Amino acid sequence: MTTTIQEQDGKMVAILKGCLDTVAAPETEKAMSPLNDVEGKDIIIDCTELEYISSAGLRIFLAILQNAEEKGRQVYIKGINDNVRTIFTITGFINIFKFM
Amino acid sequence: MGADTFIFLGFNLHAWITIATVLTMFSVLLFTKLRPDLVFLGAIAILFVTGVLDAKAAFSGFSSTSVVVIGVLFVVVAGLTHTGVLQWIVKHLLGQPKSYSTAVVRLMLPVAALSSFLSNTTVVALFVNIVKMWSKKLGVSPSKLLIPLSYASGMGGVCTLIGTPPNLIISGLYADHTGTAMNVLATTIPGLFCLFIGVLSIIAMRRLLPDRKAPEAAFEDTSEYTVELLVPSDNPYVGKTIAQAGITEVHGGRLIEVIHFDEVVSPVPDKEPIMGGDRLVFAGQIDEILDLKESHGFVNADHHVFTMDEVDQNRQLRTAYVTFGSSLINTTIGHSTFEKDNNMTLVAVARRGKRVEESPREVKLQAGDTLLLECSPQQNIDTDRLSSQLQFFDSEQVPNIGPKTIVSTTIMIAMVVLTALKVIPLLECAFLAAIAMLLCRCCSPNQAMKAINWNILMVFAGSVVLGVAIQNTGIAERLAYGILDVCGTNPIIVMTAICFVATFITEFISNTAAGAMFFPIMYEAAVQLGYEPFPFLIALMISVSSSFATPIGSPTHMLVYAPGGYRFSDFIRIGLPMNLIILAANIFIVNVVYPLTPLQ
Repeated sequence: MTTTIQEQDGKMVAILKGCLDTVAAPETEKAMSPLNDVEGKDIIIDCTELEYISSAGLRIFLAILQNAEEKGRQVYIKGINDNVRTIFTITGFINIFKFM
Repeated sequence: MGADTFIFLGFNLHAWITIATVLTMFSVLLFTKLRPDLVFLGAIAILFVTGVLDAKAAFSGFSSTSVVVIGVLFVVVAGLTHTGVLQWIVKHLLGQPKSYSTAVVRLMLPVAALSSFLSNTTVVALFVNIVKMWSKKLGVSPSKLLIPLSYASGMGGVCTLIGTPPNLIISGLYADHTGTAMNVLATTIPGLFCLFIGVLSIIAMRRLLPDRKAPEAAFEDTSEYTVELLVPSDNPYVGKTIAQAGITEVHGGRLIEVIHFDEVVSPVPDKEPIMGGDRLVFAGQIDEILDLKESHGFVNADHHVFTMDEVDQNRQLRTAYVTFGSSLINTTIGHSTFEKDNNMTLVAVARRGKRVEESPREVKLQAGDTLLLECSPQQNIDTDRLSSQLQFFDSEQVPNIGPKTIVSTTIMIAMVVLTALKVIPLLECAFLAAIAMLLCRCCSPNQAMKAINWNILMVFAGSVVLGVAIQNTGIAERLAYGILDVCGTNPIIVMTAICFVATFITEFISNTAAGAMFFPIMYEAAVQLGYEPFPFLIALMISVSSSFATPIGSPTHMLVYAPGGYRFSDFIRIGLPMNLIILAANIFIVNVVYPLTPLQ
């Protein structure tokens, strides 16, 4: 599981690759923590190469969303595969995130 | 010296052998765990071998019409129970009464009505669990309703000749002696009057009934329920934390576990997010937790509802007590093959009214522990096979109400009416009804054969033979004279005295045995006084079924004993006055309905 954070077109983009399972979650959470400190920029989580997301992974996404919303910023999710989309659908997270 | 030349205290040798046999037999029954049918057979063997009874008399019990009728009636009753008649009664009659008095009436009348046609034990066994749930709904301790349940079945049984075996035995012996058959409804009016008085007495003496927690109450403490609720994917609380949704501490309970799609979270931190598809496990008061369905839009999980009274469609919860001498004592269920062998899972263990905190499968079991077991709803637990290890108290799965309910009820009513109008004699009618039940598939041949309780029949047959011995050896006559010597020649006093003794003897021996043994005494006493024995015997029927003062007085008392959390003394406290009240009511009503007539 790798996490890359970069700035693109004035937005912060987190690119996730691999399986965000319970084991990988703490490391990913740490890697994504800089997103919480960013001011004035929207966030894109690029899931194009994310193969699986666990409830622990969803917890990280949710924390980023709540933090961003408190600062008046938006969080978008980009390019999820069917597997991950199913998880978003079942958990109802599909209704609380914005997708691009 | 022959048996007839040896006379001691007025009894010959055969009489003394009979007395010794009877006393030994009842001591063995009281103080050992030997099978009663075996004990009765042993007694018959002694009487036969010692020459007290000849072969014909010794085996007369097995060909006795009343014993055969009881056997055939087992099949008729199987037809009724397997078609859901009891369920119908429960659904339509118990309801939601507003006071204890109404509850007692609502309970006792239908139970008595059913017991007047069905076996008392069957009725009580099926009602025990229902009454426990009902009492919870009414906010009354089950111990306030279970003794009345058992009493009602006893008093109801008396109301028809077919309602209880002693009635059949006594009426059968009466027919043998006089050549006249009693009407099947001969005891109805006296029985109903005693029932009426009995219901009033229970209401009046309700303070004498203990207010006790049932052993299963340990599973029902507020904090002991666990209820699982499901979060729908479109629930508005999805994405919110537990604290934000305000469900950590809810009215009547708390959240103990969150089951996400891939992980179980317990204990649950306040910051834990709610996700669609989550299963939220709450512990607490079920009614109030279920309010969360309304307020938060949660839904019932399709399984795992750990409650005693919300037995849902997907599981069957049964309560059982570890018996004394059970092979499960000092073992843990986790290390035994019990669950695998019996296809059931242990959910919880309670000891002396408290739920054991350890993991239930790791608890070293003791005699008297209460186990809450789960199995699939279709599973038919062989409680007989397990009876040496566990005693199951909750009712059997009762079939649904359908057209066959009406068919079986019609057959039963037709049988009673045809017999009462003397169109067809009882034995023939019982056979016809049993055949009709089988032909109409109210019960399968297997269920019918399983319903015939051969052990009980053996005891009944044995009781009849003992009665014959007591009569043939002159014991009955001597005792009758003895009673007349003490009581004088006033027939009502004699009737009262014999009924009084019978009422107390029947507390310790089976009602049927008491009926068979007291028949000759009562009959002889009436004849000696020069009166027609019929009213005396009706009074005797009611007396031998009026065993209220000890839990061993009737098998139905034993059925309610553990589920009610009773003590031996609880029965004595309310049972002694009940015995006396019913005795007085009995003597009064029998003399009103059947005035004494001198023998022609």
